[in-house]
Amino acid sequence: MSELMLNPWIRALFWGLVMITGVMTVTAWSTWFERKFAGRMQSRMGPTLVGPLGLLQPIADACKLLQKEDLVPDSADRALFNLAPVLTVGFAMGVAAVVPFTPTMLAADLDVGVLWLLALSGLMVFPTWMGSWASNNKYSLIAAMRAVAQGISYEVPMVLAIMVPVIMTGTLSLSDMVADQQKNGWLIYRLPLTGLIAFVIFFLASLAEANRIPFDIPEAESELVAGPTTEYTGMKFGLFYMAEYIHTLLSSAICAAVFFGGWDGPIAPGLHWMLLKSVILFVFLTWVRWSFLRLRSDQLMNLCWKYAVPATLALIPVTAFYTVYAAGKGGV
Amino acid sequence: MGWFDATFKTFGITLKNLFRKPSTVEFPAVQRERAERYRAASFALLHDENGEEKCIGCKFCEWICPSQIIAITATPKRESPFTGKKRGYAEDFTINLQACIVCELCIQVCPEDAIVMTRDTEQPGFSREDLVLTMDKLYANEKTTRLSWHTGAGLMEMQNPQRGQEKPAAAGAEDKPA
Repeated sequence: MSELMLNPWIRALFWGLVMITGVMTVTAWSTWFERKFAGRMQSRMGPTLVGPLGLLQPIADACKLLQKEDLVPDSADRALFNLAPVLTVGFAMGVAAVVPFTPTMLAADLDVGVLWLLALSGLMVFPTWMGSWASNNKYSLIAAMRAVAQGISYEVPMVLAIMVPVIMTGTLSLSDMVADQQKNGWLIYRLPLTGLIAFVIFFLASLAEANRIPFDIPEAESELVAGPTTEYTGMKFGLFYMAEYIHTLLSSAICAAVFFGGWDGPIAPGLHWMLLKSVILFVFLTWVRWSFLRLRSDQLMNLCWKYAVPATLALIPVTAFYTVYAAGKGGV
Repeated sequence: MGWFDATFKTFGITLKNLFRKPSTVEFPAVQRERAERYRAASFALLHDENGEEKCIGCKFCEWICPSQIIAITATPKRESPFTGKKRGYAEDFTINLQACIVCELCIQVCPEDAIVMTRDTEQPGFSREDLVLTMDKLYANEKTTRLSWHTGAGLMEMQNPQRGQEKPAAAGAEDKPA
């Protein structure tokens, strides 16, 4: 087994299958969790009827989505229309490849994991745009324009924010980053504390990238039809939603790895710590979602260009100078 | 820094709610008691104290119904086996609830207090026929459902001054001998 796993192809195939199955399952039940959590925050019950505590609700939802009529508008570009939901899940899922759960449990230990991560989340805007363009509906196109504007804007602080851990650990590989944190302390509290600010900005940016409240302007559930996904029905629509949840879950996992020391922790094995940290971050994300109102479009852009981008631009030289200074002193 | 405090306050409020008992009443399993004067469900036709049908087939309700969903076939007058007086009977009485607007005008006009609304909450059905109340169903409703208090006379009593009377000039005017 272990010799087989040294072969990168077999290892990728194995962990890929595990990752896809795992991520899909966790995604399904994270919708249950989110609905239950949101319900309790609003003094409601959440799902209760299907199974004990409504635990089988995701299965019921999936069955419902699969039964729905699969509509493609007459004037739509059929190929693109069908490709978009597949790509969006594909891109979201691709991020899972580099998430380091334990030193051995990751699908691909890329030297440029961070680059891969940023590239895929940058690509996330394409399926959105593709889908709305192909559905040939002006309203979904307008929504997609806003979604793309938001996605691209928040790409900037996201990239800049993750440069801080890159400078501090001196590597682009996510597993090396965690290994460095194991040795020198988690980035969230390591001097000069730029990691903390970078974490906040990275977290915000990944929230915005995933189009979640308080940044869900393109697809405001309570006001707009469904934004870029207006013309989608059934499981294709479900795939867009699945991508959103996958993106959110993986953002939490990546934040846990990059800023909170990943598998580093006492007593329990690494995987437990990594999962625990990811879950805590996901709960926090859900908490944020159900606590805040939606930002206005201009407030969104203000937050990005007037606060997040300058802040990260300032963080990078501070971190760089400190890292060089500490290295000169024989420290880090 | 108002927005800063507000941010944390928001988290606090949602966190507090998280540990509070949900205020949901799980409806089909638990049904809350309806208000005392609630009347918006179905209809029932009543029997009088002798066990005779109250409805005399006068068609007032059929005539006043705004959505014209009541259909009555009346019989010619015949002697009542209990009182010996000649009176009418309804041979057939149908209310089609599909278009009922729950205005209760039929109850207000009924001279015999023969029709009332029921207090049972919902009347869902699996087919359109379920929503058509035939005479049998209407008389069965008298036995099987909870009836509301208001008949035509009951509603009339609520009105002060009573319908068709002049409003008294002063509060004490009625007490004086004529």
